[in-house]
Amino acid sequence: MKSSGLRYLAGALVVLLGMWAGLKFRAAHEISAPGVAVPAGLASAPDPKDSADVEAAAPHPVIPARLPDFSLNDLSGKSTSIAAWRGKSLVINFWATWCAPCRREIPLLKTVAADWAGRDLEVVGIAVDYADKVRQFTGQFKIDYPVLIGEQDALEIAAKFGMDSPALPFTVFTDRRGEVVALFLGELHRPQADLILSEVQNLNQERIQLPEARRAIAEGLEAMAAKNTG
Amino acid sequence: MRGIDSNETDFLPPDVAFRVAARVDGNVVKVRWVIADGYYLYRRKIEVKAESPDLLVSAPELPPGTVKTDPYLGTQQVYTQQVEAVVPYSRIDAGAHPLQIKVIYQGCAEAGLCYPPITKVIFPSVGSTAVVASEPPAPWESTAIIAGACAFLLAGLVLRKGRKLDTPA
Repeated sequence: MKSSGLRYLAGALVVLLGMWAGLKFRAAHEISAPGVAVPAGLASAPDPKDSADVEAAAPHPVIPARLPDFSLNDLSGKSTSIAAWRGKSLVINFWATWCAPCRREIPLLKTVAADWAGRDLEVVGIAVDYADKVRQFTGQFKIDYPVLIGEQDALEIAAKFGMDSPALPFTVFTDRRGEVVALFLGELHRPQADLILSEVQNLNQERIQLPEARRAIAEGLEAMAAKNTG
Repeated sequence: MRGIDSNETDFLPPDVAFRVAARVDGNVVKVRWVIADGYYLYRRKIEVKAESPDLLVSAPELPPGTVKTDPYLGTQQVYTQQVEAVVPYSRIDAGAHPLQIKVIYQGCAEAGLCYPPITKVIFPSVGSTAVVASEPPAPWESTAIIAGACAFLLAGLVLRKGRKLDTPA
């Protein structure tokens, strides 16, 4: 089958059923190409009749509407619940030390954490990696936002966001009510982060409703992607 | 809406990004990866091991890769498009067991996404034609055993048992 026939539709993310059900895809050729934000609740399976591509019938991710509860050890080995930041908007970044794009986006995440300090937003890293490597790395890169660490348990948490398929980094954005506003697969860049966080802020200030925020994010990302590929 | 139902910015599943197949050619096994545009494999993360109990394999002979320098990961050799590893082998008790090898590899998308190490057990084909998986899943079903239901979970297994998620450097 030609490569175009192989393209899985549907964004970002994820495969619910193992290896073959996969990320919908298209080869991205540019470093600046964004990942995909999938506003929760909109990532439902399309009607197979709507697509001529058989692979479009593959299961789609079901991203939780609300942030699921989970706990992982922090850098000191203390079990920490994500609920520790209840009431704050969260930028939850799944990463690993072996992952180059994960490393590249850490300066941005540090900047976001600093820029939003005091505004009820927290960046939380979730390292899918070995604790000793993560501790060494966080010291070396001077990561000053909270980092939780897990191996299989972190993978299971990733699966709660529909990330059954292997891919890092990905970043989950929630508003202060714990609603999952977007999930961004791939290396996050400043324009995308600013776009999503702007909508999170709008949500927090009750200027818009969640569907409107999700739509604005999706459209904004689309415009950025078009600009990058155009 | 892009990001939800558009494929405009999505990434390939790992088994589409990196297709692997193997064939026996005399006293070597040739393992070939076909790599999608915009994706690359780390040279240092490629491993080929014996899976059959009577099989002995040498370290894979790999061509030089393209030097890739990432300010946050250092300098690596990577492969794009395709690469073939030549793996000398011998059998202790030829014929007693089907020839099986285990291949491990890891790669990323240039657009900023990395996959944990992928492990597959392959029955190399015999003859001049390599059985290259053109797409999942059908072509692979005859040549490979998927070592796990999901590569992420595979990665978890590797994390626990093999500690293979090291930096490629």
